[in-house]
Amino acid sequence: MLRKIFRNQLSAVPPGLVFVYLFVAWAPSLMAQTAAMGALTGKVTDPSGAVVANVTVTATSADNSQTRSTATGTDGTFKLDGLPAGNYRVKFEAAGFKTVELPSATVNGTETAVLDTKLEIGEVGNAIPVNKPTAASEENLPNAPSSSTTPPSLQDLGFPAEQSQGNAQEQALLDKRTHMLKIHQRLGLITTIPLIATVATSLNAGGKSTSTTSRDLHTALGAVTGDLYFMSAYYAIRAPRVPGTETRGPIRFHKAMAWIHGPGMILTPILGAIAFEQKSKGEKVHGIAAAHGPVAIVTAGAFGAALLSVSVKF
Amino acid sequence: MKKTILPFALLALSTLAIADSQWVLQQCTLTYHVSHPLHQSEGVSHAARGKGVCHAGQCDFLIAVPVKSFDSGDSNRDIHMVQVTRGAEFPMVVVRTRLPESDATSATINADLEIQFAGQTAQYKQVPFKLVTQGGETHLTGTIPATLADFKIDPPSLLTMPVKNDIPVRVEMTWRPQ
Repeated sequence: MLRKIFRNQLSAVPPGLVFVYLFVAWAPSLMAQTAAMGALTGKVTDPSGAVVANVTVTATSADNSQTRSTATGTDGTFKLDGLPAGNYRVKFEAAGFKTVELPSATVNGTETAVLDTKLEIGEVGNAIPVNKPTAASEENLPNAPSSSTTPPSLQDLGFPAEQSQGNAQEQALLDKRTHMLKIHQRLGLITTIPLIATVATSLNAGGKSTSTTSRDLHTALGAVTGDLYFMSAYYAIRAPRVPGTETRGPIRFHKAMAWIHGPGMILTPILGAIAFEQKSKGEKVHGIAAAHGPVAIVTAGAFGAALLSVSVKF
Repeated sequence: MKKTILPFALLALSTLAIADSQWVLQQCTLTYHVSHPLHQSEGVSHAARGKGVCHAGQCDFLIAVPVKSFDSGDSNRDIHMVQVTRGAEFPMVVVRTRLPESDATSATINADLEIQFAGQTAQYKQVPFKLVTQGGETHLTGTIPATLADFKIDPPSLLTMPVKNDIPVRVEMTWRPQ
């Protein structure tokens, strides 16, 4: 039916109008694409500074992974034009040289990006990422500090030693902390499943016409929740502290909530056990045990708020 | 004789004209941006220091900033950032570049940057920056299109969802000649 209506409406439109519509709709994007075309160019040299011909230069768009390739000429230069504006990963490959990959080159519509690159002698296809653990690659940079001057060093900037020197022990402490907090986070997420189920089964466990099975199920789910909760709490409490760190941001609220759901998770099963015993004797839940429900709701609410505080930005 | 001396005299004058000079980083704000399906967060540092040394018309610049100095407003996130970027082991982000001295008067420059971070070195070619010179100071703004993969950093995750690979760094600097 819809297809019929659509067909009828289309047939009522003159073909000329359809072309006008398509032109109006597409023209701005076509113009934008044309305006935002750019180019990459440059010269490739070897360690002695001599130009290198037949180097395959491949640019891969960071936006859509499309690739464009060309080769350097006898003068070592290359040009990749008609490239849409954006960031590109550029790879230089040549027989007898190590492959060089530049993680990011920016192409814009107004200027041609120049990528002069120096290749290192190496085996064919022996790819070396530009990422290296030290600044030893300075010599390879076309704009690297020249040896004729004294380029500024890190010492010139006057950073105190404790700020600029690495500390492997501290890194190990941070790694351990993150590892433990990841377990804390995962266990906390898993805990929400039996927690919700425990709250849901409480409706059948506490009323006048409740069965023993309903109470047993509620108790079992509560026990699973408690076990998972205390396992999760263990990893948060035992995670190493980072000296000199002031707690700021949503984590403050997350920690504050622990002062509510922590005692609540201890108190709820105690009150629940008393209530369970009273119900098993055929008595109405009374005295302190009557607080089991409200305490459990506040505890579950604080737990949920703690979870949300680090999950969603308020 | 006079004809022979003249070129030497001109050469000596031009050498004097391109005598060494230095630049000092007066102010700097670096802001990284991280995207997560549930969060958009930014970390800001004002602790960068920098120096430029010019010789023969070329200037070598060095800018460094402690990894721990970035503040996202959440201490837990900041500590986690230092951990994933191995900031205790490699505490500084170091940026090097070389620019023609004449670029100081341009409205825009395209800089080739070498960045050391998280124990890795990555090169960024032709990163565009805008320049405004006012009262003897040069203000420079731009964005470095950094990614986590460039520095071999595993994307941290929250609620089992990892952050995006792109971590663009906005740069706002004020340099003055020394």
